[in-house]
Amino acid sequence: MSLLLTVVYHLSRLTLAGVFLYAGYIKADDPVAFAGQVANYQILPYAWNFLVAATLPYLEVMCGVLLLLNKRVRPALLVLFVLNLIFMLLLSYTIARGLDIDCGCFNPDSESKTSPLMALWRDAGLLLLMISAWLLRYRQSLPEEGDAGE
Amino acid sequence: MSSLPLSPTFKRILLEALILTVLAFTVGLSANYKLVMNAFTGKTVVAPIEQPVAKAPPTTTVVTQAFPDPIELDEIDELLSEGALLVDARNIDDYKAGHLKGAISLPLGKIDSMLASFSQQVAEDQTLILYCNGFGCPDSFDLGILLIEAGYQQVRVYEGGFPEWRDEGRPIEEGLQ
Repeated sequence: MSLLLTVVYHLSRLTLAGVFLYAGYIKADDPVAFAGQVANYQILPYAWNFLVAATLPYLEVMCGVLLLLNKRVRPALLVLFVLNLIFMLLLSYTIARGLDIDCGCFNPDSESKTSPLMALWRDAGLLLLMISAWLLRYRQSLPEEGDAGE
Repeated sequence: MSSLPLSPTFKRILLEALILTVLAFTVGLSANYKLVMNAFTGKTVVAPIEQPVAKAPPTTTVVTQAFPDPIELDEIDELLSEGALLVDARNIDDYKAGHLKGAISLPLGKIDSMLASFSQQVAEDQTLILYCNGFGCPDSFDLGILLIEAGYQQVRVYEGGFPEWRDEGRPIEEGLQ
């Protein structure tokens, strides 16, 4: 793989790692506030908002760590890809219902609000990064533990 | 995404992604076991902080929904010292039998007949702390929604309610105030 593509791969990987480490960490730090943001979507039953808030940030953090370490990159990307698709579906549904809520993507205590539409565009960008990282990972020859033969 | 979605490599990636998900779920659940259990057993210490949810203006009208924010026992003293008003959402018999010191009665079931007089006596910018029979009791939350719809801007719900207040040895009053 050319140097340019290698650089693009690592940039994509590290950007995604940074985004999801940050997003996961601050949400894991305040699960109750995050549960409130999940509840704003008005989709899950009351208690299930807490279950999502208790577990989802850890998934984001673990995927972020793997991307940062350049280990198990494609499993991590696959998880994040699926999560991102779910987020985008939720955001689209939220926009369709006309709910004007904070997306809850990052800091649950933040005063600033990210509208569902803005979050949707951001997720679309992340999705592109994931796809590029996946494809470049597939093509590139960087060794990865457990990925021999890819 | 993969050009070989059913290849052994993709199956392995899928399996590892599944393991990763289960692992994260387990870690998250372990770290927040109490919080999740409390939520599922109706003993949630703090409810989700429902933010005001406004319908985006589809045409010419704007429909606004808002939910009262929860408040914990240790925050109540500060708000009371600033002049907040305790409001008992339970029925009048429960109120007479014992209520938080200084609380006034506004039973959810009587809101239609009592809201007018309540509005005359209590200003809309008054901070209200609503409570009922503790965790799992929805009356204070439901009353909060109605009061917000009626124009009150500072409405909080004390979910621990009367049982937690009493069990903490806080002052109780009996009879009508």
